Amino acid sequence: MSKPKVATVWLEACAGCHMSFLDIDERIVDLLDKVELTSCPITDIKEIPKVTVGVISGALGNDEEVHIARDIREKCDILIAWGDCAVMGGINAMRNFMKPEEALEVGYKDTLSTVNPDGVIPGEDLPKLLPMAIPIDDEVKVDVYIPGCPPDADTILYVFQEILEGRIPTVPVDMMRYD
Amino acid sequence: MSQITLTIDGKICNGSAGQTILEVARANDIYIPTLCYLEGLSPIGACRMCVVEVEGNAKLLTSCTTPANDGMVVHTATDKLKAYRKEILELMFAGRNHFCMFCSQSGDCELQRLAIEHEMDSVRYPFLYAPFHNDTSKETIQMDHNRCILCLRCIRVCSEKVGAHTLDLEKRGWNTNVVADLGQLLGQSESCVDCGACAQVCPTGAITIRDFVYRGRRNDCDDVVESVCPLCSMGCKIKAYVRTGSVTRVEGTETSSPDGGQLCFKGRWELPKSTERDRVAVPMIREGSSFREASWDEALDLVASKIKGAAKDKVGALVSDLSSNEDLSSYAALFRYGLGLGKYDVFNGDVSRGFLKGMEPVAMQKVRPFTAAHNILESDVIMTVGADPQEEAPVVASYVRVGAIKNGASIINVSGDGAPFPGVTDSDLRVDESDMESFLGGFCAMVADVKSGKDIDTSELADRFDLDAASVCEAVKLLAGAKKPVFVVGKKAAKFPKAVTAVTNVAIVSGGTFDDGLAVVPLMTSGNSLGALHAMLGQESWLGEGDLDVLFVSSTGLVDEDPETLDAMAKSRFTVAHTPFMVHPLVNMADVILPAQAWFEVGGHYCSLEGESRKAEVIVKPGDERIGVDEVVSGLADRLGVTLDRSCSVGPCESVFLSDVAPDKAKTVEL
Repeated sequence: MSKPKVATVWLEACAGCHMSFLDIDERIVDLLDKVELTSCPITDIKEIPKVTVGVISGALGNDEEVHIARDIREKCDILIAWGDCAVMGGINAMRNFMKPEEALEVGYKDTLSTVNPDGVIPGEDLPKLLPMAIPIDDEVKVDVYIPGCPPDADTILYVFQEILEGRIPTVPVDMMRYD
Repeated sequence: MSQITLTIDGKICNGSAGQTILEVARANDIYIPTLCYLEGLSPIGACRMCVVEVEGNAKLLTSCTTPANDGMVVHTATDKLKAYRKEILELMFAGRNHFCMFCSQSGDCELQRLAIEHEMDSVRYPFLYAPFHNDTSKETIQMDHNRCILCLRCIRVCSEKVGAHTLDLEKRGWNTNVVADLGQLLGQSESCVDCGACAQVCPTGAITIRDFVYRGRRNDCDDVVESVCPLCSMGCKIKAYVRTGSVTRVEGTETSSPDGGQLCFKGRWELPKSTERDRVAVPMIREGSSFREASWDEALDLVASKIKGAAKDKVGALVSDLSSNEDLSSYAALFRYGLGLGKYDVFNGDVSRGFLKGMEPVAMQKVRPFTAAHNILESDVIMTVGADPQEEAPVVASYVRVGAIKNGASIINVSGDGAPFPGVTDSDLRVDESDMESFLGGFCAMVADVKSGKDIDTSELADRFDLDAASVCEAVKLLAGAKKPVFVVGKKAAKFPKAVTAVTNVAIVSGGTFDDGLAVVPLMTSGNSLGALHAMLGQESWLGEGDLDVLFVSSTGLVDEDPETLDAMAKSRFTVAHTPFMVHPLVNMADVILPAQAWFEVGGHYCSLEGESRKAEVIVKPGDERIGVDEVVSGLADRLGVTLDRSCSVGPCESVFLSDVAPDKAKTVEL
């Protein structure tokens, strides 16, 4: 029997969740004996194949991210929301208290550390911002939630091991954290 | 009270009629989660976390507000309850902007703890992302409405324990907000007394103490030590949080106690701040306009030689009454008994002497002439005499405010400066403290007359003190009609011992007594003024009476020295400052600076205004170079050839004033 396949995507988020994934250290070797890591920021494979487990880190903030979320949802059996951004919107949700246009103004022009003498806001060739940054399950069904910013490596490994054992896990209380 | 028996989660639990289900459960070690509930505050059943199922009742009931009845069968941990509580938590997270990742209280937050406990791995409701204000207008406290769960603990502690009534709610529904002074920013509030009680009881990151955010959350701290605040005579119990050897946070302790675990602005802010001050690390000796470091031996040799070389009446010792009984005993053993100095005293000696002398006539009747401060809460008429409780002992001020506003007590003020509680004072009589004895004498006689059913004419007394006769009459009648009057006497009145005696007379005549003594609350100035009475309080003030050859000053560095002390230090030919901190101008006046242990490094006992002996614990162990008072005193005694008599220790707190005779047997004193 072929190994179950895993694909991960990194949407509106920092790299923290994937860094935490790498933090499972040498245990990743054992894990890779049991699963096949397909498209992922680590393998740099761009095309998402049909997989058993799909993982999303990050919230949804623009059209393209919604498209990717739907794509991976269609191609996976079990979808995991990885980290606070995917689960609750996370730090991206700080822009939800203003309109997207204002957020762009603040981000590209008004911030003290910004040097942008021409006041250029990248627009046409970039995906359109959603009115708000939203958690994944606002758009697609999520099977497993792993909160945490980022989730601990142990928690990530625990969830993979549970899925390999044929269970749909929830994060136990003693492993759960939101920050 | 009749006993009841109920079954909670299959366990037979005993309780008393009048207790709530939650109280019975907690008393029987059964855990029910709570958020808005806080022991000591009135339960409001707002957060719905404590819901339980009671057999025979179709609804889920909040256990914090539902009375326990005999024979009840209660379930606290069913699947239905867990699901309900989880849903409530999800609604709280969805309704406001609780994002633990950017909250400073993450890890220290009761809401977060409960959400994790209830396995909340996601929120099934759409987040509202409603913009809420973050009120940063106050220097000490930040109020972030994004993180508020409307548990109203802050509002309740502010009104029920502090009596300030600063906080309240505005608007309704999702937009409900906690506001100060009916709509002001917290920083602009005129009623806020800056005690920080609201921040202490806040279960989330909604009201936070700015300093503490960066100095370490409770969970980051290595140790928590219960001790006593030495800053005023209330001697409030504190919890000191220690992180990497530094006191990062100071909080009140028992919310069920009369003070509700509150602290005042002094204890809350000044104690942790004091740890940031420069320390005196080694003994230092003045050389010209600067100091040089010296060994303990060299410094003590020098001090001893100066004391030896001076006439006995030219040596003075002035000790802080913020010191523990043990330290005061050590100083007394050397300066008072060993060397037999006449010039020994504590800071603010005049105030303590005023109280001591003023209360002596009643104490000689074997009646305890004062009562525990929290008895103010039991009183129906509170008379403040030459007092500013908010400045002198702020928790006493809380008792007065709560007494007046919550319990409906009347306040009569007699002072030269006007009412310390404007707006809630019923009768404000302006009498200068120097005239207080005479005024209160006349006032007392009239109270006695009204009590015995005689008519009174207050015009003569009122004319003499330039007061309104009707106001005086009203105050007399208020006091004469009081069931349980209490008298709060401040330091301004205490400067005139006879005024204090006059107050005790009014207390006796108006029937002001409590079980522990006469209904007088003396606002002694410092943490251990009561303890210092028998150890180092001088017979008379000698500061400023001619120059001294040697003046030994022991300061805790926590409060500023008064100008009189500094003047005496400046005039003295040789001055020793025994102090933990490089506080100016104290150290500027010194010829020798001896390092002392700071308040958090010293253990010992304090005699509080509550009439209790309270134990201060060592919160942080002092370094080897910082020796205790006892060792310094021993070192000096050896060099001076004095044998220290350790038996002259401070007596236990209870014997500061003995109470052999019931307070209602006290007789008035001739002024």
